[in-house]
Amino acid sequence: MTDTPDYKAESPALEAWRMFRRNIPALCGVAMLTVIVLATLYGTFFYSGDPFDVVWAPHEPPGATPEFPLGTDYLGRNIVAGMLTGGGPTLAVGAAAAAITMVIGISLGALAGYYGGWVDNLLMRITEFFQVLPALLFAMVLVTLFSPSLWTIAIAIGVVSWPQTARLTRAEFLKIKELEYVTAARAIGARNKRIIWKVILPNAMPPLIVSATLTIGVAILFEAGLSFLGLGDPNVMSWGLMIGANREYILDAWWPVTFPGLAIFFTVFAVSLIGDGLNDAFNPKLRER
Amino acid sequence: MTALLEIEDLKVTFNTRYGQVTALDGVSLHVNAGETLGVVGESGCGKSITALATMGLIPMPPGRIAGGSIRLSGEELVGANPSRLRALRGADIAMIFQEPMTSLNPVFTVGDQIAEAIMLHQKVSPDQAFKDAVALLDRVGIPSPDARARDYPHQLSGGMRQRVMIAMAVSCRPKVLIADEPTTALDVTVQAQIFDLLNEIQRDFGAAIILITHDMGAISEMADRVAVMYAGRVIEEAGADDVLDHPQHPYSRGLIDCIPALGREDHALKEIPGVVPPLHLLGDGCAFADRCEHANDRCRREKPLLAAHGHHPAACHGVEEGRI
Repeated sequence: MTDTPDYKAESPALEAWRMFRRNIPALCGVAMLTVIVLATLYGTFFYSGDPFDVVWAPHEPPGATPEFPLGTDYLGRNIVAGMLTGGGPTLAVGAAAAAITMVIGISLGALAGYYGGWVDNLLMRITEFFQVLPALLFAMVLVTLFSPSLWTIAIAIGVVSWPQTARLTRAEFLKIKELEYVTAARAIGARNKRIIWKVILPNAMPPLIVSATLTIGVAILFEAGLSFLGLGDPNVMSWGLMIGANREYILDAWWPVTFPGLAIFFTVFAVSLIGDGLNDAFNPKLRER
Repeated sequence: MTALLEIEDLKVTFNTRYGQVTALDGVSLHVNAGETLGVVGESGCGKSITALATMGLIPMPPGRIAGGSIRLSGEELVGANPSRLRALRGADIAMIFQEPMTSLNPVFTVGDQIAEAIMLHQKVSPDQAFKDAVALLDRVGIPSPDARARDYPHQLSGGMRQRVMIAMAVSCRPKVLIADEPTTALDVTVQAQIFDLLNEIQRDFGAAIILITHDMGAISEMADRVAVMYAGRVIEEAGADDVLDHPQHPYSRGLIDCIPALGREDHALKEIPGVVPPLHLLGDGCAFADRCEHANDRCRREKPLLAAHGHHPAACHGVEEGRI
């Protein structure tokens, strides 16, 4: 009986990370997102300034004045300050909304898929009810019902986007609950709660992680859309709010709309690259041995 | 003396698209402590359903236990409340599955999985449970158990995984161990090792083993007694040597004739013609009649009952009438 010390156990998660690490586009996505997050977290540390303050003449083009490298908007507000402070709320709402989506979607999907029968029927009818409502309109109604704040916006986005996650979770559960190791877990006396959360869910995670990542991107777009329509929190500067406020003057000045637009574009793009990378990393068929 | 596990007149039905079919039709079996009962038959004979029913794992619906009783040390399991059954599963009755490749959870290390099984039934700390798991891996003959306990299932071979399954099954010293075709998915040399291990485990732990298989070789190696099942019924039951040396039912004879023997003159492999009839097409007569060369009108009309006619109990009109 010889020991093999050089042989190291590798968890499925570690193996996925090894695959992910080799995926260049996904790494670019991580790099882009890191830069964006750091800029929104610490940017104001180097470049201070209240984004709501009127600091200069309106519609100063970018590069014309060294103090305001990206120019000013229709009220003469500093766009760089807006970009740096506006990223935080946008990203926070995106992440919070994605978290809410995952919690609702996974819980309901897991119960429906595991128990089946009338539980499944009931939960799936509820899911369909939410699915057939036009998401943006429904979110607008929710936000206007409760006064717009970052929290209500995040909750509204979560409430309209969980059905897809629920369906995905349910599908995974339907597949995995038939597998032999679930019966084996039951045979050692595990209770339903344990089988759902500790046996099936960990095995259903790969597609759900990918879906969560992509949900962040969708939620960011959603937040920008709501702000663009004037339904964002008016007291908090966000990229969506900047686009919304300046959209009427787009023919006079392209820059107040374009820069926050590019910021949203690159954020969502980065998140999508990461999501695709995770999808490839978790897919055993694409993984070479 | 009452047996450790007694199954009496067990009826299990399933709702299918052909209507309600009877998967088990009055199965009676018993097994004593320290004894190995072999249950043989082709696929679809109800062997695995018997095992699942004993574990209380029949999916309901579509399944239903329509009658009969299962008693473990005198305690009735049919209709027992779910939490009692859950407490018994893994602790008093454990099961080893056919496919070691798929019966382990791929995202946890095997040590963690065995430790989980221990913690479900015993109040021990996670550290102690993991130590026990390593000791069990050692007990089932896994080399360098410390390192292997930290491995994931996909890193182990089929034989190793089946050893892990056995370690998990015996972790709480069950009274009854049900092995559902434990070696079907393994290659022959590994099969012999697993049987040796099961024999050792039985000696050490004194468990009763119900070995479900379609392999007569496995029966001759392991079983004390044999029950032959066909289409949801027990059609012959006796000591292993009795069944192997003097099979009564034509189906049992067929099964034994199917064992390939080295050095036999005729190289053609014997077979039993036909297949097990689908459950929804079972008529009134003997379920084996269509495949039986000795069948007569009575066989097709009237269901034979398990009764001692010749050497030992068999359910066959031909044996009863002395024709076979």
